[in-house]
Amino acid sequence: MTPVGRESTFASRLAPGRLALGFLTFIATILIGGFAAAALVRYSPGFDVDEDVLNPHLSPATIAARHAQREVENGLPRFYLRYLARAAHGDFGKSEAFNLPVSELLRHRASISAGLLVRGTLGGLALGSLLAWLSVWPRRLTLELSAAATSGLLLAIPPAVLALFFFFREWPLWLAVALALLPRVFGTARSILEDFYSSPALLAARARGLGSARLAITYVLGPAAPQLAALAGVAVVLAFGSLIPIEGLCDVPGIGQLALKGALARDLPLLSALGLIITSLVAGVQWMGDLTR
Amino acid sequence: MTRPATILLALVVVLGLAAPSLAPNPYDHQFRDMASASPQPGFPMGTDDLGRDRLSRLLYATRVSVLLAPSAATISVLLALLFSALAALPSRLVAWTLSLANGIFLSLPWIFLFIILRSKLSLNTDPLVSVTLTFALMGVAGWAIPGRAFTASIVEMKDAGWLLQARAAGLRPWRIATAHAWPHLWSLALAQFRILIPAYVLSEASLGLLGLGVADPMPSWGNLLRDLQHPDVVQANPWTLAPLALLVLVMICLESLTPSRKAAL
Repeated sequence: MTPVGRESTFASRLAPGRLALGFLTFIATILIGGFAAAALVRYSPGFDVDEDVLNPHLSPATIAARHAQREVENGLPRFYLRYLARAAHGDFGKSEAFNLPVSELLRHRASISAGLLVRGTLGGLALGSLLAWLSVWPRRLTLELSAAATSGLLLAIPPAVLALFFFFREWPLWLAVALALLPRVFGTARSILEDFYSSPALLAARARGLGSARLAITYVLGPAAPQLAALAGVAVVLAFGSLIPIEGLCDVPGIGQLALKGALARDLPLLSALGLIITSLVAGVQWMGDLTR
Repeated sequence: MTRPATILLALVVVLGLAAPSLAPNPYDHQFRDMASASPQPGFPMGTDDLGRDRLSRLLYATRVSVLLAPSAATISVLLALLFSALAALPSRLVAWTLSLANGIFLSLPWIFLFIILRSKLSLNTDPLVSVTLTFALMGVAGWAIPGRAFTASIVEMKDAGWLLQARAAGLRPWRIATAHAWPHLWSLALAQFRILIPAYVLSEASLGLLGLGVADPMPSWGNLLRDLQHPDVVQANPWTLAPLALLVLVMICLESLTPSRKAAL
């Protein structure tokens, strides 16, 4: 497809119907994610335990009346609406395992995960794009093969194993996130660059004698920018996915480790809040990515 | 590259399938006086910290991974075909709902579902139940990726010239679907199936390493990798790296046989 063709595709992505569908998908994903989170908390073991039963000052009639009232209030639809309203104000309940408000736990750990995420994503994007560029632009078989082999080897190693290796060697962990991301970025970036590299517009410009740098900026990087931006969005989501195993195994006190500890302690309020927040983030990034893809 | 990869993969599959005959010991038998033993006659790869034979566990783990990753991929592809077939209907609402469902499934953080699943399972859950649930959930959660490709292909087919010609020639919808649309979808389904297998092998390995995959004592490549968390054990017995080496080898073979995503689409 020519760069012009791609621009028109990009414009069609921004058509009102497409924007509306994307926005609706984003909202529906959050609502469904929220519903799943609320249902998990509502039906978690011990949720319905009625402490009134143990109160000797209450008559059986009062206990029965209070129990009936609680059942109405805690019906899933009502509970869901209350959960969403509280979540919208940043109140995700109290963690059972840590005995602290979930929002406080998240606030403390978010900056650690954000640092790992930002550096890992930027590193992965830079390394993956550089490798893709080297395998497409110079047209040298040795470079192409070396790039494909590096990417293939990194794709075959689970990110958590890579992180453990870096952890025991005391190397920076963001580099493990970047290397785990590299093959995913490389594959897509190479495919995008190859499309533009073989476009008739670039061949015509090359025949006119334009310099390599100008060719690359005008006929490859410029037109490919929307797709590369979409790739950056996907890279953030992929890097976020690798945070749970990496932080969990390498003892990094971030959101990923919190999720794993929450799972091992069966802390459903914490897991539900994390699930809802991550769903919102992923849905948002994917929506933005879809607009530019 | 394709032929050596196929031969190596076939060899690994045979090793996995023949695990009950080839394994010198049951995978869960504990030799209590031989805990953390180095390689020796009777235990060519040594034993783990619970005195279980490493070679036998690796052979059985290979069986779990080589059988269940393709099974999960089959579930994903079948579900994707089933849902995407709805895109053939003339209703725009159905197409829109399908696109919405696809977007939602691609956005949900599935690792949380595994975490929650494990937190719901009791500690003494039957290993067979945990292994089935893990891979079944992978299969169900993964339908949206091939689903997007199938839906796009079906929508494209609806506007194709050959379809109009077939309709004009008086062919019945069922005949058009089976004789003309299905062969195209079948090749796409095979490509998607091959793309999903390495993804599921790697997912199981990551989940197992975290203790969220197949439960002990059933071995899988994922839970065998947990030994890598103890560098002293790895240094004392380099055979603990064997599951990782086998996993990387199989992944490289699978990747070399996997069509590129672009070609698959």
